[in-house]
Amino acid sequence: MLSGLLTKKAAPWVFLLPIVLFALVFFVLPVLFAAYISLTTWDSLSPPRWVGLRNYGFLFLTDPVFWRTVWQTLYFATGSLVIGVPLALVVAFAFSRSRSPGVWRTLYTLPMVTNIVAVALIFSFVFRETDGALNRFLGLLGLPGPGWLTDPSLAMLSAILVFVWMELGRNMLLFAAGLQQIDPSYYEAASLDGASTWHLFRHITVPLLRPTILFVVVTGFISGMSYFTLMLVLFPGTQGGPSRAALTTGQYMYQMAFEDLRMGRASAVAYVLFALVLVATLVQLRLMRRGGVEVH
Amino acid sequence: MTARLWGATAALALAAGAGAAQEARTIQVATHYTDEQVAPLLACFDAYEAENPGVTVEHQQTAYGDFLQTILTSRVGGTAPDIYNVYSVWVPQLAAAGTLEVPPQDMLDWIAASYSPSTLGAATINGQLWGIPTELSIYALVYNKKLLEAAGYTAPPATWAELREIAQKITRVNDQGNIDVGGYAYGTSVAEGVHPFYSQMFAAGVAPYAEDGRSTNLTSPEAVRILSDQAALFADGITSNAIAVDNFASGAVGMQISANWNKAGWQEAFGDGFADTVGVARIPHDAGPGGTMLYSFLWAVDSTSDVKDEAWDLLRYINTPQAEGQLSCTGQMMAGMGSLTGNAADLATITAGADDFDRAFIEEVTSGRAVTQPNIWQASEVDRILRGYIDQAWSGAMPAADALAAADAEIQAILDEQP
Repeated sequence: MLSGLLTKKAAPWVFLLPIVLFALVFFVLPVLFAAYISLTTWDSLSPPRWVGLRNYGFLFLTDPVFWRTVWQTLYFATGSLVIGVPLALVVAFAFSRSRSPGVWRTLYTLPMVTNIVAVALIFSFVFRETDGALNRFLGLLGLPGPGWLTDPSLAMLSAILVFVWMELGRNMLLFAAGLQQIDPSYYEAASLDGASTWHLFRHITVPLLRPTILFVVVTGFISGMSYFTLMLVLFPGTQGGPSRAALTTGQYMYQMAFEDLRMGRASAVAYVLFALVLVATLVQLRLMRRGGVEVH
Repeated sequence: MTARLWGATAALALAAGAGAAQEARTIQVATHYTDEQVAPLLACFDAYEAENPGVTVEHQQTAYGDFLQTILTSRVGGTAPDIYNVYSVWVPQLAAAGTLEVPPQDMLDWIAASYSPSTLGAATINGQLWGIPTELSIYALVYNKKLLEAAGYTAPPATWAELREIAQKITRVNDQGNIDVGGYAYGTSVAEGVHPFYSQMFAAGVAPYAEDGRSTNLTSPEAVRILSDQAALFADGITSNAIAVDNFASGAVGMQISANWNKAGWQEAFGDGFADTVGVARIPHDAGPGGTMLYSFLWAVDSTSDVKDEAWDLLRYINTPQAEGQLSCTGQMMAGMGSLTGNAADLATITAGADDFDRAFIEEVTSGRAVTQPNIWQASEVDRILRGYIDQAWSGAMPAADALAAADAEIQAILDEQP
């Protein structure tokens, strides 16, 4: 038995065994268990009771909050990408052509290593309606001061802006790494042909960065779809901001599971969210999979 | 011979060890209180250990927000504490799942004899008492005396119409039209929206839920009127989402319906000016008998505990005043937090040395005006749904009647789930 494990053929499997076991216990089994639980009603205190597809039916047909959270989550995920990705790309491109790119990169990655509670606290002072820094500034200009964190129509936008600020450093680093992979001779050749900085960015940087852009967009979208930590600390004590305007599906699922003890329904939400993320990711891969220098 | 001697010695040692193991008992007590808050109780645990050799009492502190999850996780893992200090609204689910142990008859008799009748309801589900009421949270109108005086009023409002008039005069807005000082405030949490609403319903003489917990009174004319009146405060610019109950401590709120447990925070904020600044009055009401709501935490024992008798004995110990005119250990802890227990002897002792703030809240309990929050099925989920629709009415997105009708429909579906 032991000699069989020591053969050359078995060696890779022996080395892989720990990670395979880890994945089995902490990924495969929970995923399968959640699939089963989503077809039951279970409060985690008493045995699960089989209800078939009733949890999914409730979410799709009865629950007035679920679809609202889905739209709000999509708004958050896409809003963060629409504002954050171009911003990070432009910043990374600008820094790559600056005199001290390392200094700038270090400065811009500071939000990434800042504790999220501290971030939320700082922005709560910035966004406060009555005496926040932003509204004070708007007041100096004679403008009204909206309730950035208390007005339901602005709450999610405020969360997006903070999230973009938090993620800017991460995305910028990824783009910076991608930019370093681009052969400088392309830029030199284009410059000799009279290309402006905008043309260099538009016709060399962006096309050759498509794999990095794809990675940033896909991972950013996936994390945005399941994200709610910032909302918990930015709108403390609420159930997802004023009038639940910043309630994401992830947080709603958490409330179902651990506050309402509706593990079955929460598992169904997890699977619906998984399906949405999977479809959206496949679409993004389809739209953006071709990229890089090999295309040309 | 030597071998025999060693054998006999080993046998004696094993027997002694087994005996000691049989005697050694550990009681694990789980609460959400911080080390500072729970200090009087820890001292009491030490005293109990000294009086009961072989018994060890361990305290497990878990944040309030994680408490229910911790119970669930520990039970799944087979490491459940023996004693819980749980919020009363969690009890229906915990009891239905067999998590809690029914108190023995002598404990039931002792609780019934020692606790204020209006507090027993907080620990009772369908006629069954599940534990010992402890931290009482009673709602009343809390007001800033100085802001009222500055607005020309020396007495708090008795009706909602008076409240609205006073609040209007207190309210101040800045150049951008945002409220600097709110005449009235609500809070951002579920409880800070729902509990004042329930309190006003009790004051109007209508319980929010039927006595059997199987239907609501949320579409009653009283409920609709109360929510409409609340929404009018937002529409009139007397309050807003930005002016919350937390702002009371900074002197930016004139009035709010709040619970007594806020006292310690306000004492810290106002210092020596506390008594001259913070006033307490009954919940204003335009019709009905008057009254308010209270909720409670309760001491309960886990059904899987292997030291149930010892656990109940410990609970009786920490909830019994050790001498005439003294507070029980739980009472000491509550007093330190500016809170109250339901223990009649503790309440009598606290009343003897109470300030105006405490006396106003205690009177709501001892007079029977305070009614316990209904321990309905899925109470926290129900409250969250209701809070969502209250928000809709406050923001003007839905008329109060429509919001409450929608809340009623969703909540009724949940109440219909119960066995």
